[in-house]
Order: sequence, then C-alpha cells, then structure tokens
Amino acid sequence: MTGDRPLELVLLELTLLVLLGPLVTGAIQKMKARLQCRQGAGVLQPYRDLAKLLRKGTVQADTASGFFWAIPILVLASTVAAGALVPVARLGPPGFPLGDAVMLLGLLALARFLTAIGALDAGGAFGGMGASREMTVAPLVEPVLMMVVFSTAVAAGTTELGALAAHRGTSWFLAWRAADFLGFAAMLVLLPAETGRIPVDNPDTHLELTMLHEGMLLEHSGPGLGCMMLASHTRQIVTLGLVAALFFPVTPMGGSGALALLLGVGSFAVKVGVLVVFLALVESSYAKLRLFRVPQYLGVGFVCALVALALRIL
Amino acid sequence: MDVGSGPSLIAVLYGAGALSALLARWSGPLAIRIGHLAALAGAVVAASVALDTLLGDPGRSIIEPLPVLFPFARLSLSIDGLSAYFLLVISLVAIAAAVYGPTYLRVYSPGAGSAAQGVQTFALNMFLASMSFLCCAGDALTFLFCWEGMTLASYVLVVSDHRSGDNERAGLLYLVMAHGGTALLLAAFLALTERAGAFDFASLRAAASSLDPATRTTLFFMALGGFAVKAGVVPLHVWLPRAHPAAPSHVSALMSGVMLKVAIYGILRFAFDLLAPVSGPLPPSWGWVVLFVGTTSAVLGVLYALQQHDLKRLLAFHSVENIGIILIGVGLAMILWRSDEASGALATLALTAALLHTANHAAFKGLLFLGAGSVLARTHVRNMEELGGLARRMPWTAGLFLLGAIAISALPPLNGFVSEWLTFQALLGGATRVHGPGGLVIVMSAAMLALTGGLAAACFAKAFGVTFLGRPRTLHAEHATEVPIPMIAGMAWLGSVCVALGVAPGYLVALLDAPTATLLHGPVASAVVTARGPLVLSTALTSSGETATSISMTVIAALLAGLAVAAWALRRGVGRAARRDAPTWTCGMSPSSRFDYTATAFAKPLRLVFEALYRPRRQVTRETAGTPYVLRRIHYAGEVVDLAETQVYHRVVEEVSALSQRIRARSTGSIYGYIGFVLGALFVALLLIGITYR
Repeated sequence: MTGDRPLELVLLELTLLVLLGPLVTGAIQKMKARLQCRQGAGVLQPYRDLAKLLRKGTVQADTASGFFWAIPILVLASTVAAGALVPVARLGPPGFPLGDAVMLLGLLALARFLTAIGALDAGGAFGGMGASREMTVAPLVEPVLMMVVFSTAVAAGTTELGALAAHRGTSWFLAWRAADFLGFAAMLVLLPAETGRIPVDNPDTHLELTMLHEGMLLEHSGPGLGCMMLASHTRQIVTLGLVAALFFPVTPMGGSGALALLLGVGSFAVKVGVLVVFLALVESSYAKLRLFRVPQYLGVGFVCALVALALRIL
Repeated sequence: MDVGSGPSLIAVLYGAGALSALLARWSGPLAIRIGHLAALAGAVVAASVALDTLLGDPGRSIIEPLPVLFPFARLSLSIDGLSAYFLLVISLVAIAAAVYGPTYLRVYSPGAGSAAQGVQTFALNMFLASMSFLCCAGDALTFLFCWEGMTLASYVLVVSDHRSGDNERAGLLYLVMAHGGTALLLAAFLALTERAGAFDFASLRAAASSLDPATRTTLFFMALGGFAVKAGVVPLHVWLPRAHPAAPSHVSALMSGVMLKVAIYGILRFAFDLLAPVSGPLPPSWGWVVLFVGTTSAVLGVLYALQQHDLKRLLAFHSVENIGIILIGVGLAMILWRSDEASGALATLALTAALLHTANHAAFKGLLFLGAGSVLARTHVRNMEELGGLARRMPWTAGLFLLGAIAISALPPLNGFVSEWLTFQALLGGATRVHGPGGLVIVMSAAMLALTGGLAAACFAKAFGVTFLGRPRTLHAEHATEVPIPMIAGMAWLGSVCVALGVAPGYLVALLDAPTATLLHGPVASAVVTARGPLVLSTALTSSGETATSISMTVIAALLAGLAVAAWALRRGVGRAARRDAPTWTCGMSPSSRFDYTATAFAKPLRLVFEALYRPRRQVTRETAGTPYVLRRIHYAGEVVDLAETQVYHRVVEEVSALSQRIRARSTGSIYGYIGFVLGALFVALLLIGITYR
C-alpha cells in the first residue's frame, strides 16, 4: 500500500496542529467574550500565556515524587503523538504504518491517565478531586466515542483515520445518510466533554465545584504548567480534527502541489472554525451540568451512536 | 538439547525441587533456596522446550508415552502448538516467581517455621509442575490428574499463611468451588471416554465426531461450567478475590497470571480440538454464550475492582475482568469460525487477540502482584488507605508498578493496548460479518470493552496514586524502604516482557502460528496480523482485504520517545529559573496526610454513577455533645457488596438450608423410615435408567 502522506507531510501537519492549538482556544475565548458583550483578550493571548510560563521558575510540592517532574513531559508527548494520527492537509493513509483512531483515543487516554497521576502526587485535596471527577467522566465518554468511530469505520472498512476520511471523501453533506446524522449528533454531544468545556467542565474557573481538568493542573507551575496547557490546547484541536476527519472529510481538490496542500490546510481551518463557533455558542448558552447529570447527558450521545451503528450493520 | 527429552527434564527438575524442599525442611532457608532454584531451572527448560516447539514446523507435535500406572489406560504427553504456547506463558511468569519468591518469603515472613517453608516450596513446585503438564497432557486421565494436583497444590499455598484466620475460610471456599467445577469436568470427560473406550485425546476426538448435536452441546456447556469456575468467570468468581490475595504474593502472581489461563487452555482444547464437528462451524450457541459471559465478566470485574481498597483484592478482581476480555476473543472466534477462507481470517484474528491477551495479562498481572507483594513485604499492609508516599521510598517498585498499571489499563505503547486493539478489530470485523441482531450484540460488546478499558484506567489511577503518591498515611508507609535486588529483578523481568510485547508484538504473533494452525486449521496468525512484517500489525475488516488498517507499535513508541525529548527541552523552560520546593497549599491549614484524597473518595463518583450495580451500604453515625449542633465525632462505614454473592449465593444457601430443615422434619429416627427412603431412591434411579436405555 503506497500511502498518500509521506513522513515529511505527517511531521508538518503535526507541527501545524501544535502551533495552531492555542489559537483555537484563543478564538473560542474571544468569541465567548463577544457573545457576553465583553471586549475579551486578544486571540493570541494563549501564546502570550505560554511564553510567560516557559520563562518562569517552578514551585513544586515538597511531598511530590520524582514522577511529578516528568508528568508534563509525558502528557505533552502523548497528546502530540495523537496529533500525528489526524489528517490535516491531505486525506489518505500515511506512507508508513503509524496508528489508527483507536490508537488516537488510546494516546489521549494515556495523557489523561498521567495527568490524573500527577494530580494525586502533590497530596492536595483539589488535585485528587479533579482526578477523581475526570476519571469518572472519561470511562463514560470513551465507549461512546468508540461507537461513533466504529459507526463510520464499519462503512469504510478501516479504522485508520486518513484512509477512512479518504474513503468518505467523495460524499458530502447531501449524500449523508441517517447514520451519519446520528453519529454526528452523538459527536456533538461528546465534543464539550472531550474538550473539557461547558456543560461538562468549565475551563475558565478554578472553583472547586466546577473543576475537572483545571483541578488537576493546580499544582503544576512554570514551564511544567506551560507544557500541560499546551497539551490541553493540542488535545482540543486534535479532537476537532478527529471530528473533521470523521464527518467532513472534504478537500477542495486533489493534486499534490504546494497549492493543493495550502488549500487542504485552509479547508481544515474552515472546518475547525465551524466547530469553534459551535463550542463558543454552546458554552455561552448553557450552564454547567451537575457532575451526576453528566452520565445522563452522555447517555443521549450513547443512544445516538448506538442507533447510528445499528443502522450501519443491520 | 533434544526436545524429546525436554518433558522428562522438566519433570525431573520440578520433582527434585519438590522433594528436596521436603527433605530439607529442617532448614527453612535452605529448603526455600533449593526448591526455588530447581523451579527456576524447570521453568527455563520448559520455556525453551515451548519455544523450540513453537518455532518449528507449525503442525508438529511431540508425543511422549508415560509409564503405565493403570492397567486400563495408556497415559501420554503430547505437546502441540497450543500446549507449547501455554507452557511458554506459564514458564515466563514462573521464572519471575522463582527469582522473586525466596527473598519475598524471607522479608515478609521471617518467623514462619522451617517446616511450613519447606511445605510451601514443595507445593510451589508441585503447582508449577501440574500446570505445565496439564497443558502437555495427551489423555483425559493425565489432564484430570494434573487439574486436581493444581487445585490441591494451590490450596496448600492459599492456606499456608496462618496469621490470618480469613485465609482458611478462603481456602475452604476455593476448595469447594474448585471441586464443583472438577465434578463437571469429570462428567464431561468420562462421557467422552465411555464412548471412546480409551482415554487418549485422539480416541476422544474420534468418538466426538459421531456425537449428535444435542449431546455435543451439553458436553460443551458442562466442560465450560467446569473451566469457568477455575477461570473465575462471573458469577462463579466469588472464590477468586478471596483466595488469590491470601496466597504469598509470588503465588498470587502465578494463580492470577497463569492458573486462570490454564482454564482458558482447557476451553480451547475441549471446544476447538476435541469436540468440534469434523465439518462445518461450531454450534452458534457456544460462541454467543462465551461472548456474553466474557463481556459480563469484563465489565463487572472492573466495576468491583474499582471499589476495592485492598491492593491484592483489587488486582484479583482485575483478573476477572481480563479473563472476560480473553473470553470475548474466544467467543468471537467460535462465532466466526467457518471453513471458508475470509471468515477463517477473522476467526484467526479473534483467537490471536485472545491468545495474545493471555500472555499479556500473565505478564502485567504477574508484575502488579509482585509489586503489591513488595509493598506488602515492607509495610505489612494491604489496605491502600493506610499507605501513600511510597514512590519516594520505593522508587523501583513504584516505577515498575506504574508500568504494569499502564499496561493493564490498555494504554499505548505497552502490551495491554496491543491485544485490546486486536480485540476491537476482531469485534468490528465480526460486526460487519454477522448481520442482524447478532451484529448489534457484538457492537455492544465492543462498547463494553471500551468502558472496561476506561474504568481500568480510573481504577489504576486510584491504586497507583493512593498507594504510591502523596504523603504516607501511617507509620507503616512512612518507614518503608526499597525491597532487595532479587525482588526488583523478578518484577523487572516481567516489566521488560510488558515493554517488549508492547513495542514489538509481531515477534510473539509469529509464535502464535502453531496454536492457531492447531485449533482453526485456517490461515495462521502471522499471515493475518503481521502480513506487512513483524513490526506492523495490520488487519482487514472486509473479505477483500483491500482497505486494511495498519498500525505500528514500534513507530508509535519511537514517536513518543522523540516527542518526549522535545517536550523535555520545553519543560526545562527558557529562563532556567531555579526550582523551589514548597508545601502544597491546603487553604491555610498545615498540610498533613489527611488532605490526600483517599481511595474511597476517589471512587465515590463512579460508585454513585453505577449505584444500581453496587448497591452500596453506607452507615453514618453522629456523636453529638448534648445538642445536635455540636458534633463530637462522625463515624462512617461504607461497603460495596458483590451482586453475585447477595443475589445468587446467599439465596442458594438460604434455599438449601430451608430444604434441609424440611428434610430434617421428616427424619424420625426410625430405621424403617430410612430403609423406605433408600428403597424409594433406588426405585427412582432404576426407573430413570430404564427410561434412558430403553
């Protein structure tokens, strides 16, 4: 099998995802501010935060073990590795065997697991609380996400994201079948959970009642916190890229020139932009759910995904 | 070495270990050292025999006649691909246990009597020998003898620690349930041998080919029941979380990592080899039942594991989960197995996933039990609420335990992910192949598998975090020190197996060619899974095989390593400002271990989410000082009960005791009454025989 995406392209896409990750967060924040009639910080604010954090010193809990220092490294590495599996500029399988959608979810789960471990290391109650809640929501999200992936993978006969997207690339919105709509609906339900946003989590506060992911970052500081922030920006854009690859696998045209690649990146940006608007609208118009309402909320997604899958295989 | 003499060499080594441990029981340390050394040698020889068989011609098998013990049966050993693979898995964990064991026994229970230590070592050798030869049995009698030997030897090990009275009760429960299972197995095997007129597997195979479908299915379910007790399948698992933690930790590693797999071996041997119809698929009910019980065990096993605070008990419940995952693969292979080529490839994929998970689970569960044993040896505490902060005190144990935790949570780049990935691919392939409601069942099974993986990660974040991180909660944990080198070496051996099987699983898949060829007679494992070279795992979900999925664990591991280097540079920061250590902010109070999140608290949200399955009991008593507004003390007691225990076992016990009460009312003490009962029973029995053999 000759792949459509050689090593250079995969690395290029990877770098692009990491570089654009903070911009997505910035755009969502800006749009939320405007929707709430505030001026808001500029869209580049996440970059400034990162630059500042990398220049700062570190304060570490005196009870923390040797693992604590390494946690940000491992979390960032596994999140970015997940980014290598998302097709950005061009569809089709990579030129060498790499990983598929299950691997992508596995790498994100690894990052989450390590984050939770790090949160327990400092010995504060907030870290444990965040870790406990995050590890409660994650096992409920994972099966639904897997079902959504499977509902498209069954049609394409592969779980490799690039190949899956290329297989679906010919069909556009008008050619969507009921299973696609249901799968997409399930995905939209999951999206706030997977990106840590309202109504499941609130990324803006460090209030103990609301925090899941932020609670786990409390004890990190300086460059370590910078790595964790960059990892969560990357995680967000990777998740959006996964949605784009599963449901909008459309590129403007074929060809392999630089222009085609640029157009591919441009269309990826448009797809992510649409999802950014969706996330900002949801965040501005809903309140955060109680933690024990979240399973019911995810249950809606599960039913949608199950019916989508049933329609595919029956 | 001549492979033909391998089995006798294994027998000599294990036998020598057992005997010398008994003879040298006047000196405990000597008995332990000699016995474990012999066990190590036996395990190494067994591993090399297994490797030699697996790397040779796939269809080859060694048949070795045994001395004639009984006039009516010819006993023999037969090592084919399937036997050799399980022998390899057993030996891999046995090596670790033999290296780890002597030091563990010395550190954890220095005061144990030398006779007890001699008996322990004797039982360990017998346990290893009977498991190894069970997998190599060439006839039903040897199989059942080894099965019984395995049960008795492990019983001796379970009750060998007298310090806790619970161990004896756990041992009794184990013995009773195991023999219930053995009774079922005995009936299933004797039904076949009676038809065959001989005990060897070749005759049984011939006799099974002429069975009618109903008898075949009945025999299968009898054997499945017998094996399921040993494998700890829900709801037959209740003995497992009691007995496994009671044994010395290296024996727990063997019981959880290996002994359960012997039951899987039994299921595979009985269903695919002995009982399978000559032509055509297996009866559909077999595979669906196995898939269902596998899925149920996986989900319930991990859910109950989440609420355990005893480290070894938690690990034992995870064995229930992992046996479930293996059975998902086995059940799927049973469903998909057809004679035609394409489905055959999918069945091979499912069986490969199951067999690979067998080895993977042996490696990481062995590692985790040894890690828990190291904690136990240094702190004498199994309740993780009394631990904490061990990572600073036992860094090697902590690091290796974390490795095992990542592997068992099915996270890349370690081995647990590989077999779960293959299971997912097999389930997805099965869902596209089996249309209608069956496909939906398979899909639900995949969703449950994903749930299981997520819950396992949550459980091990808890287990690792509460045991090893934060502050020590008691003096036991405070004064813990790292364990001696032999114990670290035992763990490191299994840890390196986990890494090797995770980063380059293709080489183990190559060893699966022989077992898959033996059982399925279809395409072999490496032709299906590693068609693109040993470093790439690839599957085809469709029959054309055109759009295959390929992943490479090796490339992903390399990518992770490269990115970790880049992240390390970023982590060091730009300004290189100094690092300060400061106490954790605890809202102004002075930090103490009471601020650390406990295991109970960590698992609470999931306890509430899955309340229907847990039926948690919660008792809060408040001690007030005269007025309800001034609290002196709050006492909290919480417990999660096993649904199988309350809903199945307690009811059965109630029914049985009610029945015996009623019978007692009939027993008048008059001899004529009893003679009447005997005559009545005889009459009914004769009547039944008359009806059956009319």
